[in-house]
Amino acid sequence: MNDSAGKIKLPTTILMIVAGVFMILPFLWMISTSFQSPSEVFSKWLPSKLDWSSHERIWTGSYNFVPYYLNSVKISVISTIGAVFLSALAAYGFARIEFKGRDAMFLVYLSMMMIPPQVIFVPKFIMFNWMHIYNTHWALILPGMFSIFGVFMLRQFFMSVPKEITESAFLDGAGHFKIFFRLVLPLAKPALATFAIIDFSWHWNDYENALVFLTSPELYTIPLGLQNFILENNVDYNGMMAASSAAIIPMILIFLIGQKYIIQGISSSAVKG
Amino acid sequence: MKRRSWIQKQGWIGYAFIMPNMLGILLFFIIPALFSFGLMFTDYQFANPNVSFTGLDNIERLFQDEQFYSAVRHTGIFLLSVPISLVIAFIVALVLNRSVYLKGLLRGMFFLPYISSGVAVAFVWMLLFQPSHGPINEVLRWIGIATPPGWFADSDTAMYAIDVVQIWFMLGYNMIIYLAALQEISAEQLEAARIDGASARTVTWKIVWPLVSPTTFLLLITGLIMTMKSFSLIQAITQGGPSGSTTILSLFVYKTAFSYYEMGYASAISWFLFAVILIITIIQWIGQKRWVHY
Repeated sequence: MNDSAGKIKLPTTILMIVAGVFMILPFLWMISTSFQSPSEVFSKWLPSKLDWSSHERIWTGSYNFVPYYLNSVKISVISTIGAVFLSALAAYGFARIEFKGRDAMFLVYLSMMMIPPQVIFVPKFIMFNWMHIYNTHWALILPGMFSIFGVFMLRQFFMSVPKEITESAFLDGAGHFKIFFRLVLPLAKPALATFAIIDFSWHWNDYENALVFLTSPELYTIPLGLQNFILENNVDYNGMMAASSAAIIPMILIFLIGQKYIIQGISSSAVKG
Repeated sequence: MKRRSWIQKQGWIGYAFIMPNMLGILLFFIIPALFSFGLMFTDYQFANPNVSFTGLDNIERLFQDEQFYSAVRHTGIFLLSVPISLVIAFIVALVLNRSVYLKGLLRGMFFLPYISSGVAVAFVWMLLFQPSHGPINEVLRWIGIATPPGWFADSDTAMYAIDVVQIWFMLGYNMIIYLAALQEISAEQLEAARIDGASARTVTWKIVWPLVSPTTFLLLITGLIMTMKSFSLIQAITQGGPSGSTTILSLFVYKTAFSYYEMGYASAISWFLFAVILIITIIQWIGQKRWVHY
């Protein structure tokens, strides 16, 4: 750090804080609006007094977010657990076991990354009708348990585990399942946590699949519940912002807790990928 | 000798690890993809049992469809958000990397939009951009712009307003990747340039920017592909309106399939989307070798 950089450090910090506040302004505005009374919307940046009625309306009123919340939690949790476990298994297979056809299979995985979801929505819609899982939570959970991104990310991590560790365990007579469960999984905790957070946030925010595969209101997840709320109450701005806060705040909390993992995971998966 | 036995002993066990995942990928990705490829050549409409093979009719129809060309144009405007977000992210990353206090806090503030994406955030922006009373237009009026734009309500500005939200959303992700790339640049390289009398601006654009070009290239390609695939932001805010002005290709597929139930035609459009992604990916393969300065 040279002198000129030292002198500009404080003003730059202030400038960047201002820019950073602009970045999070939509969230601040959302929270502030959710606590305003209906007459204050759009006229003030801060509520004159905390009005909890919008939040109450969301959770206890005629338009109730509790079932949407429970649906979202159920779908996101089961999908994420499945995706972490199944991706880790496959990633270990691709990273640490040599067998016939492995590279060809990996190439198939690679090429599937290029298929946009729009290509497979229609056939999935038809197939799920045949399988009788259309308009059930299984239509989101089952496909959600298979993540190509997860296999890539975890394979990357497993390949960075020194080969000598797994190889010497193997020569000591441990089987691959034992090595995987006892040795590699505990070592991979940070990578598993990173993937779990990213995957969970993806399921939590997933709107497109819910839109295509769910039609009964009692099955709706938070994004669909929100959309429905807005269609039916399009002038209840406080209610909209209270509901949006309820959807976003869990993600913000998860981010604040797992910030280190998320940022490390994202940087390493892209730069070295 | 040892190495050989290590490989031989593995046999079927590799399949055991991969099979559970592979079955799901087969059922939920590969088979639907092949199925969709077949549908492209039919006139399949949901709930209509009479399906016939129509050859290349859907593809011919696509290239005569005015809606398709406008969807391509809107996609083009949507994709502008990618390079703009990259340049801003690079500048932010440069500043955060060198000359600030509270680096961790700032990084978190810029990254927050990315993790909290989704429909909820889309609705917040919908209100922020509300034309008559929304805070953005209030500020514009306050600084003296008597008739600020109608944003999402006006077909001339809606797509650009979507771009603003998309740039805001992608910025943090791009910045994190740039920060990681900047940390790999050695201090000696920069010091040497400074001793040679290069100004800060020259160092940035003549030395640092070329050094991070692999990252820029990667972010550009993945950003273009990701942006092309996503439509939830637009579906949530405008549903493709007003008067179709924000209907991008991916949303066009969705509407054709699930609003008009023309699933054969929708499959044809979706494969056009795939073709564009394929071309971008091929450019990536070639470009990684040729255009990137390491």
